[in-house]
Amino acid sequence: MPICLPPLTGLEGLTMHIEIDEISKEFGITAALHPVSLAIPSGALVALLGPSGSGKTTLLRILGGLEFPTLGRVLFDGSDATGLTVQERRAGFVFQSYALFRHMTVFENIAYGLRARPRKSRPTVAEIARRVTKLLELIQLPDIGGRYPSQLSGGQRQRVALARALAIEPRMLLLDEPFGALDARVRKELRQGLREIHDTTGLTTVFVTHDQDEAMELADLVVVMSMGRIEQIGKPAEIRARPRTDFVRDFLTV
Amino acid sequence: MTNRRFIQRSPMPGFGLSMGITITMLSFVVILPIGALLLKGAAFGPGEVWRVVNTERTWAALYLSFRLSLFAALFNLVFGVLLAWVLVRYRFPGRSLLNAAVDLPFALPTAVAGIALTALYAPNGAFGSVAKGFGVQIAYTQLGILIALIFVGLPFVTRTVQPVIEEIEREVEEASATLGANRLYTLRRVILPLLMPAALTGFALALARSVGEYGSVIFIAGNIPLLTEIAPLLIVIRLEEFDYDGAAAIGIAMLVISFAMLLAINLVQIWSRRRIGFV
Amino acid sequence: MSETTSRLPVRFRAATEEPALARWCLIAVAVAGLGLLVIAPLAAVFAQALADGAAAAVASLGNADARSAIWLTVMVAGIAMPLNAASGIAAAWAITKFDFRGKAFLITLIDLPFSVSPVVAGLCLVLLFGANSMIGGWLVAQGYPIIFALPGIILATMFVTFPFVARELIPVMIEQGRAEEEAALTLGAGGWRILFTVTLPNIRWALLYGVLLCNARAMGEFGAVAVVSGKIRGQTATMPITIEMLYNEYLSVAAFSMAAVLALLALVTLLLKTVLEWRYADLLAATHRP
Repeated sequence: MPICLPPLTGLEGLTMHIEIDEISKEFGITAALHPVSLAIPSGALVALLGPSGSGKTTLLRILGGLEFPTLGRVLFDGSDATGLTVQERRAGFVFQSYALFRHMTVFENIAYGLRARPRKSRPTVAEIARRVTKLLELIQLPDIGGRYPSQLSGGQRQRVALARALAIEPRMLLLDEPFGALDARVRKELRQGLREIHDTTGLTTVFVTHDQDEAMELADLVVVMSMGRIEQIGKPAEIRARPRTDFVRDFLTV
Repeated sequence: MTNRRFIQRSPMPGFGLSMGITITMLSFVVILPIGALLLKGAAFGPGEVWRVVNTERTWAALYLSFRLSLFAALFNLVFGVLLAWVLVRYRFPGRSLLNAAVDLPFALPTAVAGIALTALYAPNGAFGSVAKGFGVQIAYTQLGILIALIFVGLPFVTRTVQPVIEEIEREVEEASATLGANRLYTLRRVILPLLMPAALTGFALALARSVGEYGSVIFIAGNIPLLTEIAPLLIVIRLEEFDYDGAAAIGIAMLVISFAMLLAINLVQIWSRRRIGFV
Repeated sequence: MSETTSRLPVRFRAATEEPALARWCLIAVAVAGLGLLVIAPLAAVFAQALADGAAAAVASLGNADARSAIWLTVMVAGIAMPLNAASGIAAAWAITKFDFRGKAFLITLIDLPFSVSPVVAGLCLVLLFGANSMIGGWLVAQGYPIIFALPGIILATMFVTFPFVARELIPVMIEQGRAEEEAALTLGAGGWRILFTVTLPNIRWALLYGVLLCNARAMGEFGAVAVVSGKIRGQTATMPITIEMLYNEYLSVAAFSMAAVLALLALVTLLLKTVLEWRYADLLAATHRP
């Protein structure tokens, strides 16, 4: 069933609540995700927390449409979105390696999603330039538009990847280990940056991490996962105070 | 600190011997012969080389060789990239066979290829008779030469592009899709630019090979002066006439033009690499 | 909790794949193109050779000229190949185990034969060693002619196949690095021992493939040899030259039969390459430095 997209203006677009309904994923005989269910309220900043192999990245990719679930549904604002293609989902995705287009400048990277639109819905050249400039200001890197990704530091690339995802006025933001490849000092700065961007745009944001400090510090809602199952869902303080399973308890004390 | 020595000091043994062997063999087998040609040219002086080359027949032969090689290399550029993509990205029965077949023009002796192509495209051959039905003659025309040159240059683009395709990160393609681009746009704007340097290298190699090709072409060519006579054949004819000067002049002309072409292609490559911003 | 769980939607396609129709079209074009351009000529060789039946084909290879052509070709390859292999190993050793200025220039020189037409290569040798030249004239007087004789054919073949072994070895040796050789050095091994017990075993598949390719090309070389050999039947006519002569005399079955022998050689080379790539992909992974 097609989803009608409401018209979006500016970055403060309408966002949506997400429901994950008994999603499971098998790769051959290995179950990456046992049936999991999760409700993400509109505008929340959610962390999928767990060690490697817990299925958190798989779940994120299913949300983004990069993987298809073996069973189960994904619902955006109550309508079944499982059959939507990646392009149709309007989910901004930031990859672990950032996946910037190395043959394009920062400007061209950020403008990419807008330029890729079919002629009817494509903004004018001037409008694209305006939006890219605004985004560069949002990520606090106003002067790097003409540089190439190879000339940027890790932290700068991460922010450009974020800006690129935001440029398409997504309905939700998905980030795969966004701070994983960075050193501790840069990580702290960017965490703050992500929180601010989330608060500015109000987008439903889901990010994957194995770093519990990060999850606890940033997220409104933390989903602890292990071996393809959800161990516990809750606010950070709640989880810390009342860990529900042994796994959660052990994971948090480390 | 810049090291001004010729070679970094190294405890590894054998530099002297290995370089010695390399340079001796290189000089004797490659450099000396080419040197002889260049020396001959120098002995004439460029003016004399020009005079010998500047005949209608010679220009026609040179023009034919380079023009048809260019078309063949362009065809191989397009088809080679397509082939590389299919071989790397798709799984289908017979894929490894196809992959091995790509190297055939490389491994097959040129004379064998030459007579085989002629047998196929002659008016009574399997493909030639079909063409004849359409009123087109392939063997003994420029079209035949073109096909032979395509055969000869086929592996170059594919083989240089395949490793690059294998190394493309899937995440970059996925990123393009998440940003709303359809598959065609992704291929055009993201993947193709990444392949271009390697494809151009392959193109240059195919071009260089085709220009100098002899064995695969002379059987199918017809070899009519001014019409279907390739430059290498003209050199052979001059040698058979004992016109060493004439042969040398054409040889030098070929070297110069090839060098200029390859230089141009190298410059394009450097420019495109700079755009991709490789560190 | 919903009652209905949905299965995969019908139009299931990953973000990094083309639509199935496009894929099959591309595959069809690739197969058709390769079939028409490459496989058809190969088939034609055998079809023409067997046009009068297998017995006729084999018989044509039995006559004296054919036999001497085969023998000559094998001998030329047998001499050119080890020499080029040795210089290829030497070049690869010098280039990959040491750092020196002018490396790129050296590599360009080694690659030079690839960008020179084989006819031009033959021409160069004629200019250098022909009876008219200084060196050539002297050698002919001494009774050691180069042009129109075996040495010329060997030199022409060596010119054309010079880069093959080096080009195969250099990337592999760069990838493998110097650590093992350096380790052997610290254990007290000398240069030759390191070469034979450490380096060569590591590169044996790449070396084998380079040698095979060199060999196939050496046996099949036509343009350079055509210029240099004088095409003297029974003396300086290699197999490719003989093929040309037979073809021009309209002895189609004989020409194609000999061509078929060379084509078989090419096929064997390709087969071995495919097998080696399998094998040495594993080995390469095993010897890969982390």
